[in-house]
Amino acid sequence: MKPEDMLRQALEIEAPWHISRMRNDLGKQQIDLWIAQEAPRSAWFFGAKSSSPQGNERIWRHVNIGKARCIVHAVPPSAPNQQPLPWFGETDQPFTHALARQIAGMFMEGVSFQAICSLLDIPVAELWKFKHNLDNGKAGLSSPQAVRTAPSTEPSNSAVPEAVDPVWEKLLDGSINLDIHALSLKLLLTKFREQFLLITDADVRMLKTHEMQRYFVRHEKLLGHELTQLVQLAGL
Amino acid sequence: MKTTQALISVASASELIRSGKTLSIAGDESALRQLPLGNWIGGTIPYFMASSGGTVNREDVFVTEVNDFISQPELRFYDESSLSQICRNAPENGYSVVIIPAFSDCHASFAANAPNYEDMYMKPLIGWIAGVHLDDLGKIKPKVVLGTSGEFSEECTVVMDVALPSDKFAQIDIVNLFRPGTGPCITFDDTGFSAGTCQINGAPGNLADYLLNDSIDTRLPLVADYSGAMINVSIKSIDKSSKRVEFYAPVFPGVEYRIAAPVNDYLDAIQSALPKANKEISFSCNCILNFLYSDLEGKRTGHITGPMTFGEIGYQLLNQTMVYLTIIE
Repeated sequence: MKPEDMLRQALEIEAPWHISRMRNDLGKQQIDLWIAQEAPRSAWFFGAKSSSPQGNERIWRHVNIGKARCIVHAVPPSAPNQQPLPWFGETDQPFTHALARQIAGMFMEGVSFQAICSLLDIPVAELWKFKHNLDNGKAGLSSPQAVRTAPSTEPSNSAVPEAVDPVWEKLLDGSINLDIHALSLKLLLTKFREQFLLITDADVRMLKTHEMQRYFVRHEKLLGHELTQLVQLAGL
Repeated sequence: MKTTQALISVASASELIRSGKTLSIAGDESALRQLPLGNWIGGTIPYFMASSGGTVNREDVFVTEVNDFISQPELRFYDESSLSQICRNAPENGYSVVIIPAFSDCHASFAANAPNYEDMYMKPLIGWIAGVHLDDLGKIKPKVVLGTSGEFSEECTVVMDVALPSDKFAQIDIVNLFRPGTGPCITFDDTGFSAGTCQINGAPGNLADYLLNDSIDTRLPLVADYSGAMINVSIKSIDKSSKRVEFYAPVFPGVEYRIAAPVNDYLDAIQSALPKANKEISFSCNCILNFLYSDLEGKRTGHITGPMTFGEIGYQLLNQTMVYLTIIE
């Protein structure tokens, strides 16, 4: 079996579909696949070739290939399949059916948003969009009971409050304000506060607070002015 | 290590390149095309704030030397399809210098989407929008250059990723003299480089009508308060027939804008807003609109020098703003 045929099999790409193009230089540890339908052979000596694309190309994140992200580019078939194609996705959804099944399975097992993002190398925004669609009935899967992460039991040298500290939610929902010097924090906080207004799902809100905390941990040495205020507010 | 930032001759810049220096270079296309291959990225623009004052210069180039890196910076192009990966690909500790050609698809895409790029605001991103002499608008396209190959591009973004040692950190700051004025709060329903209908103090309105009827000085930008960072959207033109206003950066829904309060004396105001002279600046740029509207030719903006560009990048696209980078130990 040829390597490309093995890849097709691994990604559940079955005839009449095939991989028409592949790139690995559009992003770090990322493989982009263009999937097209094979056109009917017009003569016995012509090989399979891709049919001309009809309509707009769509892009979805598919299941990972090893450590690499896999991005699928494809044009929807003119006659929709009765069974959803695993490497295809719904309109306005970020993931293919196969990846959505994988993520849904992780939700079912009680895996947290943060862990899913970390394990599958999925950007928070994309997972949020997916969960948002689940919560608004745009996808057929629903989340199990609410997931909560326990605070870390390992001692930390960092002054940054734990991710589960309520101070983060208060910062994002505007209950508390800081005098901020760092430009990146001003911009990031503005973005998160706008998003927080729209997020009702507890797990997704928690993910946002984790992101905010992750920013502070990453830039702790530059955020002394802001961190002093935050620690004081966390202690109240 | 002191950073060289200066408007110098092509010959001097060529010498720096041949000596192996890593540089970010701004200049007129005719000047940039004379430079040898080397470790540099560049963009076209003939407007500068030099140590002698604001100047329009097509012969010389403005070089910013890049130092302090832990490994040789990586230089590359991004096209529109890959541009969203720019922060994800950036070094874990360091910064990226970004130059985008004005009017390109990358320019529009970055302007609208950068705030939502993965790792945006987590990794420092600084840069500018390449332009042309105003006499050449519509005749010559702005370009960026990848110095390692000598390739010029009207469509791609050029990026230099600079990794710093663990005891140094990149910090990006802005100097924006504009503050929201006392006029009405303006909001928009959609992201865009132009707008017609909007909400004015919560009531449906039209921005073009408001600007014209109230004789608003369109040299003043719209200003939004981003948790204490004043972010401008500069006004490009008003189309009376279509009742639409064009901008130099997009407006975003959910953001409250106000027309800026006037700044009476830009030079006087900027002197007091600048970072202290003993703070070493590793990169800086300012906006051509400030150059024109505040008549900066021949005048100095303190100790800060750099290209006067068609837009500035301090994480996201900015207008009428000075952006600068410092390396902190």
